[in-house]
Amino acid sequence: MLLKLENIYKWVNQGGNRTFLLKHLDLEIDEGEFVSVMGPSGSGKSTLLNVIGLLDGFDEGDYYFQGEAVHQMRDKERARLQKEHIGFIFQAYHLIDELTVYENIETPLLYQKVKSSERKALVGDILDRFNIVGKKDLFPSQLSGGQQQLVGVARALISRPKILLADEPTGNLNSRQSREIMELFKELNREGMTIVQATHSEFNASYGTRILHLLDGSWTDTPEL
Amino acid sequence: MIRNYLKIAWRNLRKNRVFSFINIFGLALGLACFMLIALYVADEWSYDRFHAKAERIYRVHSDVRMGETDLHMSETSDPMGETLKNEFPQVEEFVRLYNNSGAKLIKHGDEYLNEPRVAHADSTLFDVFTLPVVAGTGKGALSEPNAVVISESAAERYFGGAAAAIGQNLETDDAGGTAYQVRAVFQDLPEQSHFHIDFFFSMANVNYDFGNFASHNFNTYILLREGADPAEFPAKFEQVIQKYLAPLLQQYMQTDLETFRKSGNRIEYSLMPLTDIHLHSDRTAEFEPNGSIQNIYIFSVAALFILVLACVNFTNLSTARSAGRAREVGIRKTMGTRKPALIGQFLTESVLLAYIALVLAVGICALLLPWFNGISGKELVLADLLRPGYLLFLGALPLLVGVLAGVYPAFFLASFNPIRALKGKKGSGSKAEPVLRNALVVFQFAVSIILIVGTLVIYNQLEFIRKARIGFDKEQVAVVDTGGIPGSNRAAFKQEVAALAGVRSAAFAGYLPVANSSRSDTSFSTDPVMSETNMFNMQIWRTDYDYIPTMGMELLEGRNFSTEFGSDSTALIINQRAAEILGVSNPVGSKLYYRSAPDQEEAEIYTIIGMVRDFNFESLRQNVGPLAMRLGRNDWATALRMAPGDLESTLAQVEQQFHEMAPGMPFSYTFLDESFDQMYRQEQRMGRVALSFAVLAILIACLGLFGLVTYVAEQRTKEIGIRKVLGASLGNILGLLSRDFLKLVLLAFVIGSPIAWWAMSAWLEDFAYRAPIELWIFAATGGAALAIALFTMAFKALRAALQNPVNSLRTE
Repeated sequence: MLLKLENIYKWVNQGGNRTFLLKHLDLEIDEGEFVSVMGPSGSGKSTLLNVIGLLDGFDEGDYYFQGEAVHQMRDKERARLQKEHIGFIFQAYHLIDELTVYENIETPLLYQKVKSSERKALVGDILDRFNIVGKKDLFPSQLSGGQQQLVGVARALISRPKILLADEPTGNLNSRQSREIMELFKELNREGMTIVQATHSEFNASYGTRILHLLDGSWTDTPEL
Repeated sequence: MIRNYLKIAWRNLRKNRVFSFINIFGLALGLACFMLIALYVADEWSYDRFHAKAERIYRVHSDVRMGETDLHMSETSDPMGETLKNEFPQVEEFVRLYNNSGAKLIKHGDEYLNEPRVAHADSTLFDVFTLPVVAGTGKGALSEPNAVVISESAAERYFGGAAAAIGQNLETDDAGGTAYQVRAVFQDLPEQSHFHIDFFFSMANVNYDFGNFASHNFNTYILLREGADPAEFPAKFEQVIQKYLAPLLQQYMQTDLETFRKSGNRIEYSLMPLTDIHLHSDRTAEFEPNGSIQNIYIFSVAALFILVLACVNFTNLSTARSAGRAREVGIRKTMGTRKPALIGQFLTESVLLAYIALVLAVGICALLLPWFNGISGKELVLADLLRPGYLLFLGALPLLVGVLAGVYPAFFLASFNPIRALKGKKGSGSKAEPVLRNALVVFQFAVSIILIVGTLVIYNQLEFIRKARIGFDKEQVAVVDTGGIPGSNRAAFKQEVAALAGVRSAAFAGYLPVANSSRSDTSFSTDPVMSETNMFNMQIWRTDYDYIPTMGMELLEGRNFSTEFGSDSTALIINQRAAEILGVSNPVGSKLYYRSAPDQEEAEIYTIIGMVRDFNFESLRQNVGPLAMRLGRNDWATALRMAPGDLESTLAQVEQQFHEMAPGMPFSYTFLDESFDQMYRQEQRMGRVALSFAVLAILIACLGLFGLVTYVAEQRTKEIGIRKVLGASLGNILGLLSRDFLKLVLLAFVIGSPIAWWAMSAWLEDFAYRAPIELWIFAATGGAALAIALFTMAFKALRAALQNPVNSLRTE
């Protein structure tokens, strides 16, 4: 088992009222799974992904990552866990505009203090694999959306994470580009990568090995359409 | 429309309280500083303009070079005024002021008071100057001997009022107790006068060898007729020199004017307009230390700089805040507002802010005024700001500042692309804009660096002066004014106090190596017959046997004066500089010749018996000149070298002795080191001013930097978020945000240092003895600038770095 959420609550207090973002949520994910989380806007998909990815905290409940109790960890350990084991992919790609494709992909390695020669090899491999060697010196604004997201995926993978978290990865892409990214995810999953994606799209969700439905911060068996 | 603008401006102000505060406060600081200095400068310019005929009054200055010495005097010879009036019709009137004896003792009840603000004046005093008379008759009051006109405050002190003073007698210590009758009382001279005299006595009472063109001891003012051209006077003075001075040269030195001039000597006279005296005249024998035009320039430039810094700040902060206004711009544009209207709106806002800043600035002015008066030595009041001229100036200033500071942000904001702005992206893709902003930051820090270096150099120089090897020991020496003791008692007084346990030694010390002490410049020759080749001028100080040990001077050759040698009355002890001029390494035994009058048959012969190490008897701005000491009377002051310990009780004992010897006389003393420090008051003041400006500049520059870091942090929120998700640590983010700014600070350092070095080298030129501008000054400045910049940024950068990336990465 890769990670386990037990009885997770997350809320915000607004003008005396408590609004629950996540409510009594349990989740177990094994290594090698490809989980699709579905649900309408505001159902808590992004929040859940942020909690899993340690970008955001939660108010109650237990979270174990590879058996380690994340809820008891100090910030520093959490940051290390995130840096080493978690890769993010965003709907808006979130590439750094001022950096080239090569530099964008290289950035996580810089923060992990990987040696220069090794960085070069790793980035080279992944550029090769994604067929974007020819684009390595371009800036994000010079790429199409699909290519940008490809760079986003490459960047997420460069530090060899245990789990890939993708929040609406194809939300800004057309259908052909979407399909390409989904095929890529499928292939990565086949190679053993654990993936959790949040999506609106039934079609994209169907790539997953397991589909979960979220409504108002809780699991539901009857997906609302 | 303008109401709508103002409403939005006001609400924006309230919404961003911190920003608005920094913005307004920074601008207010700049404005306040500018206003204070405007007050100061206007005050300095207004000197002596209260005289109705000020534009036609000139003072006669004398420049004399004889042998090795140059004299630039505010005084001229006693017959000069009358000669000018008699020989040139352009001269309507003249008046001479004579105060060579310095202070007078004036009897008040049973005791004598020491009055320093005294002078003898010609009866034409009231014809030349405008001194409004409140009691008695001013005109002609001084035409008879034993008359005095006094100021209102003096009348108040001595007689309880102006009217009561008329006809009363003032008893002085002149010639053993001359009484003067008060003939008129005039309004106190305003602060803005280059002399402040409370007592003008009759010129007829001056005990002086009148009619001597060669001695320059009178401050002489001439009143030109309407339409007379002062430019004609150089030629007129030459006539005077030819007619009256050439014969004297022949008589004294057996030389004609041409030969005299050829050997590098000169005598020149010039006119200085009365209204220029305060700012442009710094001569020997001024009534009071004057202001300096250089200070005015320095102050003005500094004030302008501070104001520009504040404007730059305002510009930077407003641009920084523009991101928050992008949506508003977008909405307004989609509603059809055109660019000029938007620019108008934003300019209205910045002018409004500037006016709010002005109100605050007046408050800051009021708070800072006492402190500013302290450092500038002025007595400015806030009411000065309310004069019509100022009010106009004050009203217009924010308009100017607001437009100046607001024009860039206004154009910047108004040029946002509405669609991009509404989507929350930065509206303008222009690459030129960070260049300008960076240039502004570099400018701010360069100014700060120049000011810090300036401050450090000034303090370093003052410290250097304090520790300089000055050739005598200024510590632990009290100088007692013994002028009040009857002449016959002075030796006894010296003996009594020297015997006190707390006093190591005592010496008569009329001549002291600090300012405001006696000097006497005399011509000596190395041969019995004086010629312009063997003649040189040097200071001749009359001292006693105890002077050299009491002052802690070091004898390098020969011996001190001693009672064992009967011949010491014609002995000289000279300094190293004098020996240098004589051209001998050991001058002991050499002879020097001196004539007290040109017709004296035999020159007096002096024998050199010793040589002391050079000591600085002028300020360290000047090189040590030649000087000799001989035995003589100089007992109007007595120097006491005190033993370490209870100074106060020792001084109490000295005071007791004094009162026994001189009942009813005022006892006063100074410490030599304090008098020494006073010679550098101007520099100390400069140091304080520079320090204040440096602090202010840094403060404003930091406000600006703070604003910019905020701006950049805001702009790069997304990037920071991404980097954090990718595993960037706090340190990485801080480095990312600070690096660019540190580069700017470094660039400012590179630009500012040479300018500072150049400016401060020029300042140091004034000193004959100067501390080098050392490397550590620049190192310290650079370090301080970096540290301050880092500190300023750390706060904002930390906040940006600590922000949860989830917030910044939310897509919608």
